[in-house]
Amino acid sequence: MLTVLTKLTAIAGLGVAALATPAMANVGPTLEQVKARGSLECSGHNGSFLGFAEVDDKGAWKGLDIDLCRAVAVAIFGDASKLNVVPISWAQRWPALQSGDIDLVIKASGGTFSRDTELGLQFSRAYFLGTTKAMVRKDSGITSLKEADGGSICIPAGTTIERQVASYADRIGITLEPILFEKTEELREAYFSSRCDLYAQWGPTLAIDRSVSDDPSAHILLPDVMAMEPEVAILRQGDDQWVDLVNWVFSALWFAEQEGITQANVDEMKANPPTSEIGKLLGVTPDQGAPLGLEDDWAYNVIKAVGNYAEVYERNIGSGSIYDMPRDINNLWNNGGVLYPMVFD
Amino acid sequence: MASVDYIPRKTVLQSLRDRYFSTLANTALTLLSAFIIGAIIWKVLNWAILGAVFSTQGGAEACRAASGACWSVITARWRLILFGLYPHEEHWRSGLACVVVVVMTVLSCLPRFWSGRAIAIIWVGGFLAFYFLMKGGILGLTVVEEAKWGGLSLTVFIFLATVLIGMPLSIVWALLRRSELPWISGTTAVIIDSIRSLPLLSILFTFAVVLPFVLPSWASGDKLYRVIVGMALFFSAYQAEIIRGGMQGVPKGQEEAAKSLGIAYWHRVSRILLPQAFKNALPATINQIVITFKETSLVIIIGFFEILASGNAAYGTGEWTFAFVEVYAFIALVYFVFVFSLSRYGAYLERRMAVSER
Repeated sequence: MLTVLTKLTAIAGLGVAALATPAMANVGPTLEQVKARGSLECSGHNGSFLGFAEVDDKGAWKGLDIDLCRAVAVAIFGDASKLNVVPISWAQRWPALQSGDIDLVIKASGGTFSRDTELGLQFSRAYFLGTTKAMVRKDSGITSLKEADGGSICIPAGTTIERQVASYADRIGITLEPILFEKTEELREAYFSSRCDLYAQWGPTLAIDRSVSDDPSAHILLPDVMAMEPEVAILRQGDDQWVDLVNWVFSALWFAEQEGITQANVDEMKANPPTSEIGKLLGVTPDQGAPLGLEDDWAYNVIKAVGNYAEVYERNIGSGSIYDMPRDINNLWNNGGVLYPMVFD
Repeated sequence: MASVDYIPRKTVLQSLRDRYFSTLANTALTLLSAFIIGAIIWKVLNWAILGAVFSTQGGAEACRAASGACWSVITARWRLILFGLYPHEEHWRSGLACVVVVVMTVLSCLPRFWSGRAIAIIWVGGFLAFYFLMKGGILGLTVVEEAKWGGLSLTVFIFLATVLIGMPLSIVWALLRRSELPWISGTTAVIIDSIRSLPLLSILFTFAVVLPFVLPSWASGDKLYRVIVGMALFFSAYQAEIIRGGMQGVPKGQEEAAKSLGIAYWHRVSRILLPQAFKNALPATINQIVITFKETSLVIIIGFFEILASGNAAYGTGEWTFAFVEVYAFIALVYFVFVFSLSRYGAYLERRMAVSER
């Protein structure tokens, strides 16, 4: 009798839990905290990281990473001013995330095994593929790293790039003389004043350094890819709903690009969605936001505020910016790149 | 004619010749040095003023073409350097707060305000004015969270708060260390030496990053204040030893005389011991304060947007990446103005105190 009763209670309990699920389980602890606080705390930089996190003349943050933070903030609050960019150093990223000072890290940081396991962090899908490359002066006649055997190479000290260069040089059987620099501007100056034959760096930074140099056409990026790192948003372990939310915000940006939804035409698209998927994305079909703990029109707000992924990219590091970096591998799948959205069904 | 009973004054030309051109080798050396100095001055002048670009009109392009410095990066971004991430339309508050500090310093230089009470009122009052200007929340000023503070005013705030908290603390340490009870003086000595044997950077990191894991959330407060407490502790450990050194310089008879007159402990300390100790310790104290001002730049490593970080941000945009030397030169100038006036003020205090000794 007692066991039956216990079972009955258990079943009843399950039933209540099941009933409660649709409303409760959608909001994970992080989202709950963000909503209660009224702002999204996202990683910034203690200074600037060209193209990804910079400060404009008026002290406002801009950049690719910042815009992705902004997209998440807009998805939650429908208001870009609810984003709070916290200036943190590289070393501070993980402690700040784990102590709850910030809600997510979008700081040109790769997904790595040790970050996932030892540090107990969680990743979004990759929003950018960063390759490690080398730059050389055009008049040197070098066209691939193999031809640079015995040359000197400027490398940022204390970074993974140091290791990547060494192992790549081993692999293709050449020796390079590394010259290390702590500060980025020192490193840049050293190469551009010809202290080294080559300059190894995270690809985007390398391309940016070239584009802002006195004579960009005098330098070329070698085709060798020494390493690849997928840049991801990094989150605390154990809040699946928060990971889902960030992933779907990214997906919305890619999906909007794929379907040709832009900041300019999003109103039109919403008023008159050409396909049912677009209707779902933009919240024309009701109840699209609730499963993520968001409003129905979250994706509409995001695109209205920051544009689709192409617009975010071009504005910050692509053709709309001073850096003019081609998208190459970071194109959508249908343009020869590796980025793709999940399906909005 | 009467005999000359004074040493004849040399004319300028004579003394020049005697000092710099007396022998052939001396002449050569003088000319060479003059040439080198002249060349350096000419080069700096050429770079900093003659060949420099000051206006933002031509943008970064005009700057690249110029032979000299590109001061237009400062013209375009000085507000970012001085005020960091502080909301743009509220910059006047941040600026005014810095003016308050300057006024405060000037006031405390005037002998009229030289009593312990007046100095305390000026500094605490000025500090409060600074704080409320920056933070807002009263008199209709909008609230600006500490996380948004930046640039010069953040540097100044951290410095002031560190010294204002650290100075009384260091007096306490120094007195405890002189205690006649061995367990008090011993414990204090261990505490002071422990703090002094840790690098400031690790203290800052611990207070900024590790403490929130350990402390309950109500006790951890804003990161800025945790860091200030850390810096103040560090400052007080050094300053305590400086003051103790000053105390040791006060003749023992002074205290014994006071005791025999039946003067109570607090009076003895505040009226007899400390004033003399501070006078003895003044040069070292000024030194320590100057070092502390410069050490505030270490907070960049824990993500504060003080003047060095905002300087990095100022040239850290595609347009201005090449102009980092100018930004650093500008920041160096700001530091120089502050530190140099601090040292001059210290030297002035010393002279004044020496006068009272005569």
